[in-house]
Amino acid sequence: MASLDLPALSIGEAGRCLRRGDFSVPELTQACLDRIAAHDEKLHAFITVTAELALKQARKLDQELRAGVDRGPLHGIPVALKDLYMTRGIRTTCHSAVRENWIPAEDATAVVRLAAAGTVLLGKLGMHEFAFGGPSIDAPFPAVRNPWNPGHVPGGSSSGSGAALAAAFCLGSLGSDTGGSIRTPASHCGVVGLKPTYGRVSRFGLVPLSWSLDHAGPMARTVEDCALLLQAIAGPDPRDPASATVAVPDFGAALGSGIAGIRIGVPRRGWFDEQKGTDAETEAVFDRALAKLETLGAKLIEIDGEPFSAARKANQTLLLAEAYAYHENALRRAPEKFGTSVRRRLLEGAFLSAADYITAQRARVVLTERMRSNFATVDVFATPTTPRPPEAFERLDPNEQNLRPSFTNAFNLSGLPAVSVPCGFTSGKLPVGLQIAAPAFEEGLALRVAYAYERAAGWDREQPPL
Amino acid sequence: MAYELTKADLEDRARRAGLRLPAAEIERLLPGVNRAWRQAEELRSWVTEGIEPASVFSAARAYGG
Repeated sequence: MASLDLPALSIGEAGRCLRRGDFSVPELTQACLDRIAAHDEKLHAFITVTAELALKQARKLDQELRAGVDRGPLHGIPVALKDLYMTRGIRTTCHSAVRENWIPAEDATAVVRLAAAGTVLLGKLGMHEFAFGGPSIDAPFPAVRNPWNPGHVPGGSSSGSGAALAAAFCLGSLGSDTGGSIRTPASHCGVVGLKPTYGRVSRFGLVPLSWSLDHAGPMARTVEDCALLLQAIAGPDPRDPASATVAVPDFGAALGSGIAGIRIGVPRRGWFDEQKGTDAETEAVFDRALAKLETLGAKLIEIDGEPFSAARKANQTLLLAEAYAYHENALRRAPEKFGTSVRRRLLEGAFLSAADYITAQRARVVLTERMRSNFATVDVFATPTTPRPPEAFERLDPNEQNLRPSFTNAFNLSGLPAVSVPCGFTSGKLPVGLQIAAPAFEEGLALRVAYAYERAAGWDREQPPL
Repeated sequence: MAYELTKADLEDRARRAGLRLPAAEIERLLPGVNRAWRQAEELRSWVTEGIEPASVFSAARAYGG
């Protein structure tokens, strides 16, 4: 196998090869590092590459495997992290001048768990500054570009995670999601991203954007790989006050059991056509994905989209207020250290009232119940992940996103798990994502529907030409 | 219909919030702030009597009960 092919393997495939002795952990790691060195200059997916550390970890993990110590399916798998996960001794910048040289003293819980599962850390990935506000054009690090077309945005805020996976720089990644920040770059970069149920994965050690909406979660090139990563990082954590004490099931157990009889709710009415509506080509790709799901035995049921649409208003109100509260001191002290885009969004939160915030938390109860009540008649929800394909940098309009529906916000507000899986391309060969959301703590069901679709559609075999 | 904030309103509120914002930045903020205000206002129609906020204090969590 040519070394250039190794980074493009799925985690499952690489694990099988490592155990057969087809190649070693250092060889796989070096192949990823070589690919980063060759191509990241035009994508800027990485802020920090930890090459020396990665090779040291790889040698140790390889020795373990050869000595019969097997930590499981992630043993020896090279991964990279969104640069808001605290990493002990490794700078964690949040893609911002505010934290340009911050070196945390400890690891995030998810980082500890990934390391215990035997992953190799390749480095830290670019993002939207502090996970908010859009591509960071005036931050100390360049904006991440889309491997399918570097003239287009990769989506955010976990931009580097999406781009690094699509470019086959790493085999797995962790992102964070407050309003769609895992699922949007997954959709725009043609990879898979899962926002788990709120509380399923510890947020300890993630620099917050909005405490009540932030989720940590996995991103990978296949649904199965996402399930493997989730398995490693899920579970209670006393250091995260929102952590749920819910048993962690085997997320891969039912992946291949098919979707015959599964009822898919499509909340199109009152949502997809909100304001400027959904891009016609995106909706056509989504409709073809629904037709494919139907051929696999699923039943499609149209449901009311109104509470899903309204959820965005509550999500945005909570996010703005909490994000401003977190950054208030820094904004008073040195606002100029924030990039233009993130500073403008953060400051919007300064002008909301306490009553606005509390009203949004009350609306959250009502809207969540309205969304949840649909599970009496459907098993999962399906939407396009984003209302339009990735924009060109040169035509980027920060106000445009407010004029289209947000298909991701509703599942941050409700805390429901949601996965984005590639479902095709536009005529300009830009990826489109299909979002599947499931009842709370039913990540396995969302993954099962996504897996059935992925296997039938085969989009995971497509790779961007670098 | 929510009250629309003016540039003068924003200047006053920014000062009270301890923010030092140049006039040009206040101007740029105005559309986004008013959009956020409208969103928050629209949410009020969803809330009825007896609905508590999603985030509540938990004595059990605070005191390990």
